Amino acid sequence: MRRNVALFRNFFKRELSTRYLGSATGLAWALLHPLVLLAVYYFVFTQIFHAAGFRGSNFLTFVAVALWPWLAAQEGLQRAATVLSGYSGLIRKVAFPHEIVVYASVAATLALQFAGYLAVLLALALFGEPLHFEGLLLAVPLWIVMAIAVTGVALALAALQVFVRDVEHVLMPVLMIVMYLTPILYPRTLVPETVRPWIAANPFAWLVDRLREALLDGRLTPTWNDAAAAVTAVLLLLAGRWLFRRLSPHFEDFI
Amino acid sequence: MNSGPIAEHSLDHEPLLKLEGVGKDYAKLESRGGRLRLVCSLLRGRGAAHVFRALDGVGLELRRGESLGVIGENGAGKSTLLKIVAGVIRPTRGTLHVRGRVGALLELGSGFHPEYSGLANIELASALFGLTADELAARREEIIAFADIGEHIHEPIKHYSSGMVVRLGFAVATALTPDILITDEVLAVGDESFQKKCIAWIERYLAQGGTLLLCSHSMYHIQKLTRHAIWLRDGRLERQGPSAEVAQAYITFNEEKSARGKQPMSLEQAAAAHFYAIQSFELTPGKALPHGADLKLAGEAYSPDGRAPVIMIGVGRVDGTAVYAVATDMDGVLPYRVSENRFAFELTLPRVALLPGKYLLRAHALDPEGVRLFDTVERPLQVTGETRELGFVRLEHRWEMHTSRIRAEMPVE
Repeated sequence: MRRNVALFRNFFKRELSTRYLGSATGLAWALLHPLVLLAVYYFVFTQIFHAAGFRGSNFLTFVAVALWPWLAAQEGLQRAATVLSGYSGLIRKVAFPHEIVVYASVAATLALQFAGYLAVLLALALFGEPLHFEGLLLAVPLWIVMAIAVTGVALALAALQVFVRDVEHVLMPVLMIVMYLTPILYPRTLVPETVRPWIAANPFAWLVDRLREALLDGRLTPTWNDAAAAVTAVLLLLAGRWLFRRLSPHFEDFI
Repeated sequence: MNSGPIAEHSLDHEPLLKLEGVGKDYAKLESRGGRLRLVCSLLRGRGAAHVFRALDGVGLELRRGESLGVIGENGAGKSTLLKIVAGVIRPTRGTLHVRGRVGALLELGSGFHPEYSGLANIELASALFGLTADELAARREEIIAFADIGEHIHEPIKHYSSGMVVRLGFAVATALTPDILITDEVLAVGDESFQKKCIAWIERYLAQGGTLLLCSHSMYHIQKLTRHAIWLRDGRLERQGPSAEVAQAYITFNEEKSARGKQPMSLEQAAAAHFYAIQSFELTPGKALPHGADLKLAGEAYSPDGRAPVIMIGVGRVDGTAVYAVATDMDGVLPYRVSENRFAFELTLPRVALLPGKYLLRAHALDPEGVRLFDTVERPLQVTGETRELGFVRLEHRWEMHTSRIRAEMPVE
């Protein structure tokens, strides 16, 4: 166990630094990317489409609260899907629990994005946006639930990618579709009545709604849905780990 | 270097390592959709449909302070075996018991990340081995000193020469003082002085009660560093025993393999290959010989340069056990010239003492210096007769007793 913690720490550091070590902008890029995206969305939606009805909030604040967690989850999954190949030398020659690599990768991504999230919330507040910072009391547990679910899916994707190289290619468009089907750039109320149940079935929609309720409205009371989401996340983690452990003894041969 | 925890337990006799009927199958993928189907069957807890048996039915024990060599051709399963012991892969069949910490140096630069500096890699390797930060701090200097690669330690591994990678790898593996050290062909790289350093380290490690599993193509290293050896062939244990014996058997096998079962070479073939070759080899009276009768062997050899080749005649059991061999140069004779490139030989073995059974007679063509073996031709021989004696040959013998006394002491039935 002590060894696994030491390994996790080592891989975590490695994941953080490899990600931005080679690039000139360094860590700044981690923050820059979502900011640029946010600016583009702002321009397209408010200046071109003249969209409105963002629950009374500014579009920027409305989107920022939901966009960061989504980007964190998306990047976490994409990185994790291909992370094992970067460790192929180790996997072929050294005995260690392979799942630590995935944990470290997901943790590094989410930690960076969460830091960016806090920075952006702070910046918005400084510009006078009415944010409820006590909402973080709920937002942090929500991020944790998301992290658990993302880790579960990431484990499955990482393990499958070793055998079936298509995973990373399929993942890109699928994530893109899911993003537009999640009320991140639009409020749920704009969705036509007939489609709404489908949107509601998306667990990420629940997360986005809850984050907005907490940070924009300051509504913190936990619901049964929150508990169900937490249980679902844990089940996802267990399923992903089960799949990973079934396949990991055979990585050495296929990686 | 560090004597570590090794010496303390030198009295226990439980094997550190025990393998029983260990086998490993690798999945063979035949079609495109094979990978998807393989994943499905793995998830259902089944093995792959088509497998390649890399290792099968291997059993061995290694006690503290013992050293075991692993030899065999490429693809014989050596690396698979070492990986199983190191815990990198799980055996498909059989059981594996390992007590203590295993340090493995599997091939070049195992466990190093090419983008990272030598120092960062030392850290990673220590974490993989299970050292805490304090333990690492105590040994870092030692590792750097042993690797002896100077300022390169701060550079990414990808800029290292293969020799430097091995230096660092060996330095790390040794500083961690594992209970069992596994090395796979690492001594083959690195300059001579570093090799000597490694060998000296291994000898000291063994003297202090360390346990070694060494895989090498160098029979010299095997015989020098290990007391026992196993020979793997096509994933199975071909032979095990004292390392000198196994190494010798392996060398013989390889020599025979390069020459085995060949029919006499045609003149053109031999000339083209610039080979000393056996062109004909006949036995008189033939394939069957009564025990104690005379045997005549005769044949012709080809010489590409017109010099008389050395002819060696060997007698062996069908299982490959050598019984007797003699060469022309040992007895100071030369085959006689028939033409420019052809030489004839004739050998008589009077009253052949071979006991009844199946034998193989071989004629070998060697260069005139009697150093390199170029060609081998085999003929089967059945020695016929009835006897209750055991062994291969009848030795001249005489009982120093009276026959009547023997009879008197025989129990009456």
